[in-house]
Amino acid sequence: MTLGAGIGYVLLALGPSLALFVTLISTKPFLILILLSSTLVWLISLIVLSGFWKVFLPIKTTALWPYAILILTSVVFQEGLRLILWRGYKKMEDMLDAFADRVAKPRLYLTDKMQIALAGGLGHGVAHAVFFCLGLLTPSFGPATFYVDKCSYAPFFLISAIISLAFVTIHTFSMVIAFNGYAQGNKTDQLIVPAVHLIAGMLTLVNLASSGCVVGIPLLYVVALSTLAYCGKMVWRRLTETQIRLTPQNQ
Amino acid sequence: MDQNQTPTSILHSLGEEIIRIITPVSICMFSVVILVTVLDTDSSISSSISTIATIAYTETASDSDWDKFKGAILNSLVFVAVVTLVTFLLVLLFYFRCTSFLKYYMGFSAFLVLGFMGGEIGVFLIQVSRFGIDCFSYLLLLFNFTIVGVLAIFMMKFPIFVTQSYMVVIGVLTAYWFTMLPEWTTWVLLVAMSLYDLAAVLLPGGPLRLLVELAISRDEDIPALVYEARPVISHGNHTIVQRRVWRDRERDSDGDRNRHVSLESQTGPQIDPESIGSSSSQNVGELSAPLIERVRVREHELEPENLALEGIGLGSSGAIKLGLGDFIFYSVLVGRAAMYDFMTVYACYLAIIAGLGITLALLALYQKALPALPVSVMLGVLFYVLTRVFLEEFIVQCSSNLLMF
Repeated sequence: MTLGAGIGYVLLALGPSLALFVTLISTKPFLILILLSSTLVWLISLIVLSGFWKVFLPIKTTALWPYAILILTSVVFQEGLRLILWRGYKKMEDMLDAFADRVAKPRLYLTDKMQIALAGGLGHGVAHAVFFCLGLLTPSFGPATFYVDKCSYAPFFLISAIISLAFVTIHTFSMVIAFNGYAQGNKTDQLIVPAVHLIAGMLTLVNLASSGCVVGIPLLYVVALSTLAYCGKMVWRRLTETQIRLTPQNQ
Repeated sequence: MDQNQTPTSILHSLGEEIIRIITPVSICMFSVVILVTVLDTDSSISSSISTIATIAYTETASDSDWDKFKGAILNSLVFVAVVTLVTFLLVLLFYFRCTSFLKYYMGFSAFLVLGFMGGEIGVFLIQVSRFGIDCFSYLLLLFNFTIVGVLAIFMMKFPIFVTQSYMVVIGVLTAYWFTMLPEWTTWVLLVAMSLYDLAAVLLPGGPLRLLVELAISRDEDIPALVYEARPVISHGNHTIVQRRVWRDRERDSDGDRNRHVSLESQTGPQIDPESIGSSSSQNVGELSAPLIERVRVREHELEPENLALEGIGLGSSGAIKLGLGDFIFYSVLVGRAAMYDFMTVYACYLAIIAGLGITLALLALYQKALPALPVSVMLGVLFYVLTRVFLEEFIVQCSSNLLMF
């Protein structure tokens, strides 16, 4: 894989996140810290999962069910971790509000809270892209490239970068949806996020079949784009109803 | 919300000091990883490295794991012993007020690092990239670069950006040379140095603690290689007290501690590579200036109930200082991880940043000089081992089947 192709794959997987980072997050140091912490949390969850699954790997059979169980346990664990992240975020929000009161600055706006959630989600997405895609890509510079039998339409690295892009989108925006759902107590939002994560994970199982990626990847993108659309709609709704509710003498 | 002007929220400025110290650490680590991957000459060069760190035992590829481990422990013990001796020597010199000697010595070692180590690494880079340059031009450029570096760090008031860049460059060069040590020795040395740091700073008889107390009692600066982050100027409304700062013991109490391993008296600048390798690696220790982080504070009202928030370092304003030794050892850890695989690099990077954040939080909580090595290095080593043992197989299994979550 030549250097040019390698850089192309990296930008494919991480380009939109880089754009989000440069425009939204790099100007606010606190969001950079949130991003780093959520990346670390995702890494820790991966390490715990891999520690748990160490005894069962490598999976020798080509049957579907061991992989399905692997994905199921991983998604369940990570969604549980998201709840814990929410609790931590609530505590931090209280501390930040108290701090803002003391230095006579306004409390956290709604947009601030959403930006924190976005930074957290982006951290998860970047961690996914880095460990699942970049980790295998960066040592592979040099002559020749690698194709997988089951999906020989494109080099392995290209396919993994495309899948990672979809997952980055899913992770980033589902965090916004989830935090909003917990804040408002909206059950639909709260349940939709684990469901989307699970569906996306299970869709990658389709890749196990020969030439399955032709079907699996477009469906994955359908899921990613619908997450994006749902998040956009929800944010728009939330912002407009906050605007309507606020009268000049209120905060 | 005010239609005319929405006041900026706290999110704009919170945590800025931490980012200002994390950025150069990240740049240093990133540069060392790039150097390690581009140069990639660990087999041919390491055989000619004879330093203090390998004096007890030279690792060969044919030894068993247990032998390597024992040899590594011996090496680290020797290294830590030498470092301790020299730090006590430094305390003695400082006690007898030989500070100008120390300053000139610092300048001299910066010259050696930038000139000789930097020159040699430059030659490697030229070899790898087949860049066409003749040796006279190269020497001229190198000489100018080195002299500006020495001046920037010690003699004159330079723009802070230049000083900071030269600090990072010295850190990168020294860390790269450390990564040439054999593998087991490097890892055990990292752990040994972090334990030493813990002991030297916190124990009552530790050399670094003595140095700090001497400096505080005399209200002087210790001559040291220390990276200082640019202080944060609060924008916006200056009439209101924006930030709570806490009061330190002394106005300008310096928590700076230095770890100087000034071993060689015989370092004449010698040109052949072997002796450069040996003599400059002996010098290396003194550049490992230590972990001192100190927050310089302005006096303001101290409210005890604020301490909870200040406890995570969010409320301070002032410059955070991090010793160059921390930069070097963090980068050595990440550079070593890069020699194995990039996944370990990412994991160790996150671990070190997390450790640094925890140390800064502890610093804000305890408000005294703290060692920055132990938490980060221990976390880094832990994550390296965990990634290598568990994570890699899991990820490769999942990814190669295009199975992701």
